[in-house]
Amino acid sequence: MDEFERELEQAFERRPAPPSLKRRLIERRAAEARRRAQAERPFFTWQRLAASLLLTAVLAGSVQWRIAERRRREQAARHQVLTALRITGQALDRMNTRLAARRHSPQD
Amino acid sequence: MAPDWQPDFEQLVDQYQSMVFSLALRMTADRGLAEEIAQDVFMELDRNLAKIESAAHACFWLRKVAMHRSADALRRRKVRGTDLWVEMEDVHGAQAEDRATPLSARLEQLLATLPEPQRAALVLRYQEDLTPEEIASTLQAPLATVKSHLQRGLKLLRAKAQSHLKEYVRGD
Repeated sequence: MDEFERELEQAFERRPAPPSLKRRLIERRAAEARRRAQAERPFFTWQRLAASLLLTAVLAGSVQWRIAERRRREQAARHQVLTALRITGQALDRMNTRLAARRHSPQD
Repeated sequence: MAPDWQPDFEQLVDQYQSMVFSLALRMTADRGLAEEIAQDVFMELDRNLAKIESAAHACFWLRKVAMHRSADALRRRKVRGTDLWVEMEDVHGAQAEDRATPLSARLEQLLATLPEPQRAALVLRYQEDLTPEEIASTLQAPLATVKSHLQRGLKLLRAKAQSHLKEYVRGD
């Protein structure tokens, strides 16, 4: 190794890193760890699971209520039709009775 | 390899930050970029910490990644030798003058004007005191190529020093 190479060795000594380098690294590392933890967190945590169950129950209840309501209306309509038929039947019976009575009366 | 060696990230940063920063600084001649590269290198180390087997392995790994990252950064920026010279003068000239002898500072400036492969070989040889075999392993290059870069780089740097710094260079 000659004089010039020795000069190079001296000139190329390691330089101290900026004092902020380590602090920035620690901050960046912590941010990356947070981001990684966020990404790795399971999608269905217990809060999400509870909320999903509640929502499902509300939706199912709503559907059940609609079905029951429709059945109740159908039942009421059927009842009205039957009542109307019964009234009509009674009126016809009365009419038949009167007609029969008139047919057998002495004026005829 | 020490069987019970446990990597401690902060300790590795303390131990090798000046090495990584200096390698990046001498390769890019840009203090801001060198700090950015050093951060990226240590973040990559953090992600690969489980694969590091010893302190020596960590040192080798850091040198290798720092050199590759610096070369990538240079390629991205497509910085030419003359631009580097100007940048070095503008950004670091005063700091280098303050810290080092005038000869050291100007040798660093001349280094920035060398082609990148020669600069890499010389930085690893004279900053890190590596043998040509170790440089070849770090740069993942053939030994003959590394020896050629070292010889040509040294010759070119010497010639530049003789023409620019003849008042300082005593031996040849």
